[in-house]
Amino acid sequence: MALVLTALLLLASLPLRAADTLYLYNWNNYISEDTVRRFEAHCRCRLKQDYYSDNEEMLAKLEAGAVGYDILVPTGNAVESLVRRKALREIDKARLPHFGNVKREFLDIWFDPGNRYSVPYATSVSLLGYNADKMRELGLPTDTWALIFEPKHLKKIKGRVTVLNSQRELMAAAMKYLGYSVQEHEPARWEEAKQLILRAKPYWAAFSNSTYIKDLAIGTVWVAHGYSNDMFRAQQDAAAAKRPFQIGFATPKEGAVLAVDNFVLHQSGRRPDLAHQFIDFMLAGENAADVSNLIGAGNTNAAATPHILPEIAANPGIFPPPDELQRLEMLRDFDPKLRRTLSRMWTEIKVR
Amino acid sequence: MSAARTQPAGLSKWVVTLPPTIFLLVFFLVPALIVALAGFRETGEFGGLAPWPGLSLDAYRFLLGDVIYLEIFARSFLVAALTTLLCIVFAYPLAWLIARSPKQRRDVLVLLVILPFASNFLVRIYAWIMLLGPANLLYTPFAVIVGMVYAHLPFMVLPLYINLEKHDPALLEAAQDLGANAWTRFWRVTFPLSLPGIFSGSALVFIPVLGMFAVPELLGGTGDILIGNLIKEQFLENRDWPLGSALSIMLTACVLLLAGLAAWAAKRGLHGTEAVS
Repeated sequence: MALVLTALLLLASLPLRAADTLYLYNWNNYISEDTVRRFEAHCRCRLKQDYYSDNEEMLAKLEAGAVGYDILVPTGNAVESLVRRKALREIDKARLPHFGNVKREFLDIWFDPGNRYSVPYATSVSLLGYNADKMRELGLPTDTWALIFEPKHLKKIKGRVTVLNSQRELMAAAMKYLGYSVQEHEPARWEEAKQLILRAKPYWAAFSNSTYIKDLAIGTVWVAHGYSNDMFRAQQDAAAAKRPFQIGFATPKEGAVLAVDNFVLHQSGRRPDLAHQFIDFMLAGENAADVSNLIGAGNTNAAATPHILPEIAANPGIFPPPDELQRLEMLRDFDPKLRRTLSRMWTEIKVR
Repeated sequence: MSAARTQPAGLSKWVVTLPPTIFLLVFFLVPALIVALAGFRETGEFGGLAPWPGLSLDAYRFLLGDVIYLEIFARSFLVAALTTLLCIVFAYPLAWLIARSPKQRRDVLVLLVILPFASNFLVRIYAWIMLLGPANLLYTPFAVIVGMVYAHLPFMVLPLYINLEKHDPALLEAAQDLGANAWTRFWRVTFPLSLPGIFSGSALVFIPVLGMFAVPELLGGTGDILIGNLIKEQFLENRDWPLGSALSIMLTACVLLLAGLAAWAAKRGLHGTEAVS
């Protein structure tokens, strides 16, 4: 399958390869049309994007041999795995005059010490989105994972809860609620997380990675475990449709998973010159601000702050305050053995 | 067969069958072998496969040593069987109706059966989310079966229609003349003659349903995991390619076994039909 896809991709991309085209392999809906047009005017080149909906999809496609992408936008753990596989090209910071705009706290992270290969772009938090009116009516707390793990809360919202269909994300939420690190290596503690999830599962409606946006916005689901930028979208959608309720979202006080997405240069890219130009363009404050204003992602760019709409900049679910940032953890890849153990637990969670 | 007699037999046969043979070799057999081999490799530190050679039986040992995976296989077969059965029940009257319609109307009716394919499969499943959501039926095993039957119904209708259309009405007239009532005419004449259609339709429904992951993922609740979801998870989220490959191969083996059984049963069914007619 992957091979066929790769072959098709090659066939499809070869005849189109114009002289001045930058190829970006990006998340769905992560750079606005408007930003793209401004960049194309700025560089007098074309920007072509292909999309993925999770890191693993992107890694699998590259692993199967996909070539020709200048820039990728992987999350931290995927950056680490790309670096280890020597799939990335070093970034020449001399060609990035705006590099200094990156906030200090997002530089020099474990997945790429010294930022040799990556430039942070945006962040999201895996948190709880909720129907604010229902929560008030039922008197439920919205700032704790207890909302989706404790039967005493869950029995009031049975069948109205969805959680992420992701072993790493959901088990990380359970670990945080139990007070453990998401990077725990002790299987017994993961076992505890599994038990916690199994106890709560009968109250959940579904494991969902995308449909919760719509479900929250139309009011069929009242609490969803998901990504902050998706919650932002559900909030916007509900407001645009003039629903009689509001969608809120907040990071649980026990801590949560933080995802930092970064620009990196793929080895197979043919236009590192344009790629550097693109990254520097995106580092300028007014361009960097778009990702927050349009899709509600957290921003790693200090110069963007004045350009971000005040109601978005002030939302702690999107921009975690410094003390909250301390309680957020990034996901890091496990070794194959632990991966298999956790996968076995996850299968059990799904079957029971 | 007559062509074989009038032309140099070997050559024309090769010319005709070579392109599909090459296609199948390149796009089916080679990938299948790659998957089969991957099942015996070791998992790489950052996903994918460990550097060559790194051969092991771990993936199979892991899967076979644990009843939970067997449970998911059993569940998937149950869902596939139920979907196939419901497809037969719903498709039969429809196919029969089309086959008995005046000739000029048949093409329109067949077109109507195919028409949903004009829009993307996922879009149609999303439509079911809209329909089932307000009725509080979304995220249930029922929703999964509805989605499966809906998505695969045309694959049952078409082979059945093609079969039923060929039936000679004279057979039914003869049965009537011999005193058979409508019920007997159906069960003793029409149904046995339509068995090949049912078998090919069932194969077209059963096998894709076994590997389907999108329907349970979008419509299913917290317990609706099928083998397709498990395989997808191994390749994507868990990046355990050997485990995913081993699961795929086990699924393929089961399907081949079933296809063999079905072919054998179909043969017997045909003989049975000959005896009846």
